[in-house]
Amino acid sequence: MTNSWAHVRAETVARADASVVALIDAEQAPILARPYYAGEGPPSPITASLAHVPEVLEATLPFVGRILGPTAIDLRAKEIVILRTSALMECRYCVEAHTTVALDSGLSVGEVCALRGEREVEAVFTNRDELALISWVDEVALGRGAAPEDITARAREVMGDPELVEMTLVVAATLMLNRYCSALGLPTSAATLARLAEEGLA
Amino acid sequence: MTAMAGAIARGEVGGRLWFYANYHCNLRCTYCLTESAPEVTRRELGREQIVERAREGRELGFTALGVTGGEPFVLEYMPELIAALGSELPTIVLSNATVFNDRRLREMEPLADLPVQVQISLDRPDPDDNDAMRGPENFRKVVEAVPKLVERGIGVRIGFEQLEPELTLTADGAFYSPFAPTVRGGELDTDLLVSRTTKPVREPAEMLARIAGSRPAGNDASIGIR
Repeated sequence: MTNSWAHVRAETVARADASVVALIDAEQAPILARPYYAGEGPPSPITASLAHVPEVLEATLPFVGRILGPTAIDLRAKEIVILRTSALMECRYCVEAHTTVALDSGLSVGEVCALRGEREVEAVFTNRDELALISWVDEVALGRGAAPEDITARAREVMGDPELVEMTLVVAATLMLNRYCSALGLPTSAATLARLAEEGLA
Repeated sequence: MTAMAGAIARGEVGGRLWFYANYHCNLRCTYCLTESAPEVTRRELGREQIVERAREGRELGFTALGVTGGEPFVLEYMPELIAALGSELPTIVLSNATVFNDRRLREMEPLADLPVQVQISLDRPDPDDNDAMRGPENFRKVVEAVPKLVERGIGVRIGFEQLEPELTLTADGAFYSPFAPTVRGGELDTDLLVSRTTKPVREPAEMLARIAGSRPAGNDASIGIR
């Protein structure tokens, strides 16, 4: 597993100055979007941008939440997929946001750095299942057409049909968010940036 | 029965389907909720689109139609459009009544045979007070226009009081009521936006019925009506 995309990190720190679209605050939140503004603090930039189209927000957030949130698959495995995919796609917003989530899900700073392309994955990860998963993520995120047989076979050894379906969908949903967040230049929250600085991962 | 027809029958939603025909206006009223004025972007909904959605609205169970703006009658096709809408359902068109020249009045004569009313905006009983808000000579023009419309058999009413939720379609999306697509500093308020989708009408209609059905009892302050 080579680290051919080490340039990613340099790209991800070059943040946009401002969101391409206005982020809708609580006062302007459309009626159907308001339940998604009910939590403490400001809404996430994803919510605040999707609120421009409330009927799409209503479908998107539950969809994303169901796929990326808690299911039968543990959050550590999901965060490996999400952070790795986001780094491969050079999505500054998602890498920063999910670096903190990954830490909270039990990944070490070293593992996070490896998933972000700052260290060799095989020098940090030793678990066979997780290495197979990372190979699968790399292929799904960057590959074209059908996956090579050896990578597929390796994934099949460690994942049954339900796991393979779900993990592949986690990659796909993350790809969607990566392009959405990158294209619209969504800003990372101050709280996340502070946490990244605290962890030495800014 | 559709979701909207049910909501109307239960009194949760008003039965009138509103259209913002356009946003531009020949006047520049100081208080205008939509900041309408001659130079603003038209954001026209479109004649064919309005008729198509009105027909769909009737099928969904709406009982009446409304047209507002902007000043609808700055659009050349407005008399014909109102006639087409009046053939579908009883229709009210809001106007400042300052653009009714002889040609326009002749074009409006067919409306006399249809369930159509022109609702005219007049803000103060005193001409000077009124004109301070709506522009010079506004009071005189309105007062002169009313009998001309009445003479032609066109229903006229002055005043606007309803605050209930009524599906309102604009070029920017569907809104909670005709008072909802407000503009401040040139920016459209989105707090009472129901959906960007306006076609098919069933989609925003069902969303508004859902909102209205789950609305807490009480006044509209609970959802931030300004």
